[in-house]
Amino acid sequence: MEIYELTAREVADGIKAKKFSAEDVTRTCLARLSSLEGYLNACITVAEDSAVAKAREIDSRLARGDEIGPLAGVPYIAKDNFCSKGVRTTCSSKILENWTPTYDASAISYMNGAGAVLMAKSNLDEFAMGSSTENSIIGPTKNPRDLRRVPGGSSGGSAAAVAAGYCPIALGSDTGGSVRQPAAFCGIQGMKPSYGEVSRYGVVAYASSLDQVSPLARSVEDLAIAMEVLARPDPNDTTCDAYDRPKFSDSLSLRDLKGKRIGVFAGFGAEEIDADLYGALTSAAEHCRSAGAEIEPIDLPIAVKYGVATYYVTALADASSQLACYDGIRYGAHTDGQTLADMYSNTRTVSFGEEVRRRIILGTALLTEGYYQNYYGPALKVRTKMVKEFDDLFERFDAYLLPTSPSMPYMLGMKEEDPTRMYLGDVFTVPISLGGLPGINISMGLTGEGLPLSVQLVGQRYDDARLLGIASVIERLAGRPGIANPNLPQNAEKRRG
Amino acid sequence: MGVIKSARPVVIGLEVHLQLNTSSKLFCSCSTDYIGRTPNTNVCPICLAVPGTLPIINDRAVALGARMGLGLHCEIQNYSNFHRKNYFYPDLPKAYQITQYELPIAVGGYMDIEGDGGPKRVRIHHLHLEEDAGKLVHPTTDGRMTGAAYSLVDYNRGGVPLSEVVSEPDMSSPAEAREYVTRLRQLARYLDVSDGEMESGSLRVDANISLSNADGSLGTRVEIKNMNSFKSIERALEYEIGRQNKVLASGGRIIQETRLWDDSEGVTRSMRNKETASDYRYYPEMDLAPIVITDEEIEKFKEDIPELPWEKRERFARDFGLSKEEISVLTEQKELAAYYEGVVNAGAPPERAANWVRMEVLRVINEAGCSITGFGVKPAVLAELVRKIENRELSNTVGKDVLDLLVKDGCSLEDAINRSGASSAKLTGSSLDGLIATVMEANADVVGVIKSGQDKKGGKAKFLHGLIMKESRGQADPKEAAEALSRMLEL
Repeated sequence: MEIYELTAREVADGIKAKKFSAEDVTRTCLARLSSLEGYLNACITVAEDSAVAKAREIDSRLARGDEIGPLAGVPYIAKDNFCSKGVRTTCSSKILENWTPTYDASAISYMNGAGAVLMAKSNLDEFAMGSSTENSIIGPTKNPRDLRRVPGGSSGGSAAAVAAGYCPIALGSDTGGSVRQPAAFCGIQGMKPSYGEVSRYGVVAYASSLDQVSPLARSVEDLAIAMEVLARPDPNDTTCDAYDRPKFSDSLSLRDLKGKRIGVFAGFGAEEIDADLYGALTSAAEHCRSAGAEIEPIDLPIAVKYGVATYYVTALADASSQLACYDGIRYGAHTDGQTLADMYSNTRTVSFGEEVRRRIILGTALLTEGYYQNYYGPALKVRTKMVKEFDDLFERFDAYLLPTSPSMPYMLGMKEEDPTRMYLGDVFTVPISLGGLPGINISMGLTGEGLPLSVQLVGQRYDDARLLGIASVIERLAGRPGIANPNLPQNAEKRRG
Repeated sequence: MGVIKSARPVVIGLEVHLQLNTSSKLFCSCSTDYIGRTPNTNVCPICLAVPGTLPIINDRAVALGARMGLGLHCEIQNYSNFHRKNYFYPDLPKAYQITQYELPIAVGGYMDIEGDGGPKRVRIHHLHLEEDAGKLVHPTTDGRMTGAAYSLVDYNRGGVPLSEVVSEPDMSSPAEAREYVTRLRQLARYLDVSDGEMESGSLRVDANISLSNADGSLGTRVEIKNMNSFKSIERALEYEIGRQNKVLASGGRIIQETRLWDDSEGVTRSMRNKETASDYRYYPEMDLAPIVITDEEIEKFKEDIPELPWEKRERFARDFGLSKEEISVLTEQKELAAYYEGVVNAGAPPERAANWVRMEVLRVINEAGCSITGFGVKPAVLAELVRKIENRELSNTVGKDVLDLLVKDGCSLEDAINRSGASSAKLTGSSLDGLIATVMEANADVVGVIKSGQDKKGGKAKFLHGLIMKESRGQADPKEAAEALSRMLEL
């Protein structure tokens, strides 16, 4: 087995046991990256030199017998909307194309503090607005399980990198499914924690009340280790809750699901779901039953019927305000104009992509006098009702199973022309975000054609540790995902060298 | 300032911004001491709206907001929150201002002022917290944006905490408006909530003014901004009353608009081409947890409220028997009031102490251009001096010289009395008789008149008494001198 196929825990153990050095790991992962990056286009910036330097530092600390962190020497990749000190952070936008932050996002500090090695910044839909990682200044990322398909989004670069074995673990941000859906499309594990579990400080915001830092990995155990590093109170983010988190990895000792009640979503109707994914949901339910859980069908009428509309009203309104700071004055791209208004309009027209402009304009309209009362106000109320719907169900269930995405990874370029169709792909992920609930995408293996199958496990807010325990039982029965070895085209023309 | 004449009743409401006395900004740890700093050095990623940053609420600002609210008899809310007020302007780095909108920290309340026709209660609509913006600098001769080839922006002030006190439209004249702002500033200073300096911008006033219609209904209101002194508040409102009366008298209509006061021209001007009528697209600020203040915390805030101006005024009247005028001067600043009380507590008689603090201490500090906190004479020392005057050990005249010496040289009271030419020993007995004899000799004609019995009303004797007191440099006891003079005139 190659080093790049190992999980984060295996890498960390190997380094501690001196089976291999941190530098070996980082160099191996960098080599894996450079052998595939020309086909995948998963990274915007590769921080090769600083990564090797950090790995050497870990090795010398280990040699000195210093205390090293739980992720010492583990290479990771962060979505390019996480501020990283001294490493360009573009948000995949022309407007921040040449912007280098002077500070680290809290999540980056925590990972670095745990000894993890930041190897690269990954591709995303501009400002995390999209579900396919096609709206990017560097062009689309390809799905490593099938290069003709999208990797999902907006954390498509991070998901593709983990699936392809660039690194065992990556950071993404999930606003309405942006980690769970690409994890599903690339066939790996991805967890959106409860809102308020992980600090958002330093993650360039899309929608403040929904954004959540979310790890991606090839095992549930690695997700738990990442959560132990990431989830803690942060004085820099007052929406990050100040309570003491449980030890997430303790929950992995769960052997079976006896006494657990798990609801399985059965409310399909207007929303069609891919037959293979329906099969994956059924087999996940079977695994739970075989592990001793009680299984019951559930419906989420409000969430499924109103989730997408409520989500887009909330998120777009927030985005319009959140992205107003890009005015060409203090940082980022600037385009001159005859008047102040011209300068604003030129800067923002030239340097924001089409999807971002669409969302800003829609969001601005939604907050405008008259529309606010008809859209934003009701959306807040529906959101409250949706939370109630979830809470009521949690009186009877420990967790729910539902699909992550209604569809399999689609072909590149297929949905770009029809944003509404793309928005509907978020039907099962956005309600979970609106509820502030934790959700984990669990890989359910591959189809005959090698396309990934998956299921979404959802828990009660702040019940993240127990949810990881249930996920680990399902993973044990369904099998842990392996890395993707993309079927490279003969004489393929590399998109980027 | 007299009551302005207006053909129609005047209705004024004020929005007063007070910069809160915190050491750091509302949402970051940058200093609030921005005046005179090199542009854009008092900033950090948070107040520059660097991507990824989040605001962190300054608890001290919340406490000061609640404190001011309590001083204004408002109800402090257990739950309040922030909204975003969205608009593009270069001095606003996030392109939205974080401000309290639907649920401000303090609601309702009132402040009593001295109105044109006696005591008046001005109702307070609410008090809310918000962040200040930066400042634009236009490189034109008049400092206006019009005609500028470019503008510069300084974010040093951006994010400084403000509380905005919004009154009901309860004031009926520019003088009342000025009185309201004066009392509000006094309250803010008593509570240590704000410096309330208009010159430095820590107190800013926007006025809404309308003239009522013949049927008593409210007229169209106009907002006046850019009034930078107490004087300009009055002048701007007077001008605006005149302007609106003229427009209405000639059959015109008042337009709802914002006008800027031009202090040098003495006129208000319509703010054209500005985003005045804009829709700010207010919506809840999700980056900040709501402000939760428990009843226990509110009680604690209440306990921390010091004696307020009106309470002090009442107590001074009750305990010291001073006149309204005296009390008003002594309690204007709480530091002066404290100084006065220090003098009385050190044993000076209240009335004479009041006189001395009001007339002499204020004269000295005004001349020196300092404040009472910078006044070097300790209350106990002034008390001793005042007591000596009360006991007729020193005259008022010598007392003033002594005070000047104390201030100038910072010497002890004893030294000052010696150096003022007055020995602390009184002029009495035979030395006093000697002085009286000298005065009588020099004024033999007057003595003659008195002795001839022509000084029926005692005016001539009083004249001599005055001369003796003057020659004694106040060291003679006036009563003893009068008795000795009578004896020596054989009256």
